[in-house]
Amino acid sequence: MPKVTFINPDESRVELDVPVGQSLMRAATAAGIDGIVGDCGGGLTCATCHVLVQEEFLPDTPPVTPNEDQMLDFTAMGRHPTSRLSCQLVMTEALDGLVVRIADPQL
Amino acid sequence: MSAEPRPVEDGKGGLPPVLDVDPFTEEVLADPYPFHEHLRELAPVVELARYGIYAVGRHDEVQTVMSDHERFMAAAGTGLYDLRKPGAWRSRSPLLECDPPDHTRMRMALTRIISPVVVRKWRADFETEAQRVVDRIIDMREIDAVRDVAEAFVLTVFPASLGVDIPHENAVAIGDMNFNAIGPNNDIFQRSLRKVEPILEWYQQSFQRESMIEGGFGQRIYEAEDAGELPVDSAPGLVRSFIRGGMDTTIAGIGFALNQLARNPAQWAKLHDDPALVKSAFEEAIRHESPSQTQFRTVVRNTVLGGMQLVADRKVAIFMGAANRDKRKWERPEEFDISRRTTGVHLAFGWGAHQCIGQMIARMEAEVILSALARRVRRIELSGTPTYRLINTLRTLECLPLRVEPV
Repeated sequence: MPKVTFINPDESRVELDVPVGQSLMRAATAAGIDGIVGDCGGGLTCATCHVLVQEEFLPDTPPVTPNEDQMLDFTAMGRHPTSRLSCQLVMTEALDGLVVRIADPQL
Repeated sequence: MSAEPRPVEDGKGGLPPVLDVDPFTEEVLADPYPFHEHLRELAPVVELARYGIYAVGRHDEVQTVMSDHERFMAAAGTGLYDLRKPGAWRSRSPLLECDPPDHTRMRMALTRIISPVVVRKWRADFETEAQRVVDRIIDMREIDAVRDVAEAFVLTVFPASLGVDIPHENAVAIGDMNFNAIGPNNDIFQRSLRKVEPILEWYQQSFQRESMIEGGFGQRIYEAEDAGELPVDSAPGLVRSFIRGGMDTTIAGIGFALNQLARNPAQWAKLHDDPALVKSAFEEAIRHESPSQTQFRTVVRNTVLGGMQLVADRKVAIFMGAANRDKRKWERPEEFDISRRTTGVHLAFGWGAHQCIGQMIARMEAEVILSALARRVRRIELSGTPTYRLINTLRTLECLPLRVEPV
C-alpha cells in the first residue's frame, strides 16, 4: 500500500499507509492526526485540511479545481505556492512516498 | 463534491418495498426514531405509499442521493413537491434548487462573501455577546436554555452578521413555517402558515435591498449581484435563504448539545476542564439528533440505488437524521459520546454540492457560546422535561429547563 509522510507543526513525522482512492484528509483524520481538521468532510467549504506538498511530488498530484483554488485563498495560515487541500489529494500508486507538511493554524 | 470516486450501479434492481407510514404526523415527529429504524431496516430504498415517493435512511444511500446530482437533481425542488409541476406554491431558492454547473458559479460567489477568512473576523463580536448571555443566565440559575441561551445568542449574532433586523418572536414563527413548507401541505404546515400571516408582509420586506443594514453580508450579496457575480434578481432570494437556513438549525444544535450534556454530567465535566472539546461535542450533538431531518431530490432518469430500481421524475425523501443513527456506520448510534470521531463524517450539514454553505458560521456560534458556558458553569442539570417543536422537516427543542451551577 502506498505510504504518505505527514510533517506536524512541531516537526514530528507520521507515516501512514493510504489505500489507493482514499484522500489524504480522510487518512489523516482516521489516524487521529490533530493538525488536519477536515470539518466539512471534503466538501470544499471549510479549508481546514491545508497541507504543503513537497515540491518533487507536485507534478503527480491531481490538478487544482476552481473550487479548491478559491478555498486555498481562505486558509487560516495563508496560501503558499505548494499549498493544497488534502481532501482533494486522492491517493495513487504514483504518489507513493509523498511527503506533506501540515499547515498551522487550520482554524 | 468529495474528490473520492463514488460507486456506480448499473443494470436492473428489485422494486423498493412499500412502507405504509406517514413520517409527517405529530406522533412520528414527536419521536421519529422508531420510524427511522423501520425505514433503515426494511430496505436501502423504500416507497412511501402515502406520497408516492421514495425514501432513504441509511448512511450510504443518503450520502449518494445528496451528492450524485447527475442521478438525483435539486432543480425540481428540495421539498416534497415537484417545482416543475403546475400549482407549485413555493418559490424557488436560487442557490439550493438548482444543480451544477449553474449552481457552481453562484456557490463560489457566495463562498467568497462568507469565506472562512470573513467568518473568523466575527469571532470577537460573537465572544462579547456570549459573555453577555452567560452573565445573565448565571444570575438566573433556573433557565430555559432554548430561549435564554440558544435563541438569545443565535438570534442576536446571526442577524447582526447578515445585517437584517429580525425580532426574536418573528424568527421562531418564520422558522416553523419554512421548515414545514419543505414537507407536505398538511395541518401542521397550515397551522404554522396561519401563525405567520400577520407578519408575512414584514417578512417579504426583511430580505429586500432597502432592509439591509450597512456592513452586513446581506448587503454584500446585493453588491455582488450589482457587480454581475450573481444572477440578476437573485439577491432577495439568496438573503431569504440565509434567513431560512441560518438560525433555526443552529439554535436546534446548541439546544441538543446542552440537553445531552445535562444528561451526561461526566461529559460536561470534561468540557469544563478542557473547553476545546466543545467543537467535537457540537458535532456529536448534531449527529445524535440532526436539526435538518429531511430533504428531497428528484430521480433524473431510471436508475438503480442500493440494488433497487428507481423510476425517473419521482421524488426521494432523504432522512439525514436516520442516516446519522445508522448502525452500519456508527457503533452504539443512540448514545451521545463526545469522544466519537464525528466531524466530517456525519451528514447533518448534508453532503455534496449543496452541503450547508454556512456551516463554518454555525460551528463558530456553537463553539463560542458552549465554551463560554463550559468555562463558567461547573454543572448543568435538567430541572424539568424538555419539549420539542413539531415541524415537518426540522427537529428542535421548544423548551429545555436547566439549573446551572456557576464556578
